[in-house]
Amino acid sequence: MIPSQRYFGTAALAAAAVTLCAQCDPVRGDAIDALGGEAPGVRRGPLHRPGQPCLLCHDGDFRDPEGFSVAGTVFLTPEDRTAVNGATVHLTDATGSSFDATTNAAGNFYILPSQWTPHYPMTASVTPPAGAPIPMQTLIHTEGSCAGCHFDPAGTNSPGHLCIELADGGTPP
Amino acid sequence: MRSRGSPFELGAVFAIASVAAAAVTLFACSAPPADARYTQTTLPDSASFSPVAELLDVRCGTLDCHGTAFRNLRLYGSSGLRLSESDRPFVPLCDTAGELTQDYLSVVGLEPEEMSAVAAGGDPALLTMVRKARGTEAHKGGQVWTKGDSSDSCLTSWLSGKPNPGDCATALAGVLPTGTSNPLMQCLAQPPPP
Repeated sequence: MIPSQRYFGTAALAAAAVTLCAQCDPVRGDAIDALGGEAPGVRRGPLHRPGQPCLLCHDGDFRDPEGFSVAGTVFLTPEDRTAVNGATVHLTDATGSSFDATTNAAGNFYILPSQWTPHYPMTASVTPPAGAPIPMQTLIHTEGSCAGCHFDPAGTNSPGHLCIELADGGTPP
Repeated sequence: MRSRGSPFELGAVFAIASVAAAAVTLFACSAPPADARYTQTTLPDSASFSPVAELLDVRCGTLDCHGTAFRNLRLYGSSGLRLSESDRPFVPLCDTAGELTQDYLSVVGLEPEEMSAVAAGGDPALLTMVRKARGTEAHKGGQVWTKGDSSDSCLTSWLSGKPNPGDCATALAGVLPTGTSNPLMQCLAQPPPP
């Protein structure tokens, strides 16, 4: 065997090992399975799976899809899942670096690591298309997916999906 | 060409396996009895824990860190995991008496022997939670604060029996996203829940 063949073989084995390891996390696999399939009529892309924990799949692992550093979905109220298009999500990390992302028609926003990667803890605020910024009143320490904490139904371990309006006209904390 | 194992070789393998099994069995029998308990000799004051709990809830107990049932040092509080099934993050706004009790038990029960030593005057850095927060020991959440700053002092002064709630308030105001106007600051001004 010539040296180049040996190196190629080693690299191929290493790549296979990495791929196998990435696919054998049963907890993550179960969490992804629990998300279910794509919604009818919605293709994979920026508008898909609003309200789901984006970084569960978009984790930058050695395979598709592309990794995100922070991503999420902005809905209008706690009661329904009307998307807010054109909201500005303002994020500031522990070093003072900040980044603004804008939600799309599905209410989704996402930030690529090449655009910005925060040093945690991070703070967040959402500015509706018409209105004042609504600050999130707690710190984000590790979770890049909004829906990692903001999931439905609201309960002891979740405030419910991310929204900007309460029924009484106020804003959520 | 190597022959298949002779009866003598098989016997040797069996003997070695038997000895190993016996050693494992003996080791298992030498474990402490199931009812063995360490009784904590000294504990930090629970009555002055409330401001410390507020800080820990904000700095450590968010839903993406220790405010989850899947971590050790589980913390309950307004800005994270709630104890009562009917409560939600921020509803009610301040920590409940039950949450304070659970947080206290989480903190003092994490390393019972070391906690007793620290409460008796030992170096707070004996505790893993102090080292992790200072970043002197590996921590998934990274360095949370620096030795000697108001957050560190809030925790360590309480551990040492000289609680300093002023440091806790300073630390909270410094880290909460909206500073002193953050609704959680109201909780510091209230007496601890009964």
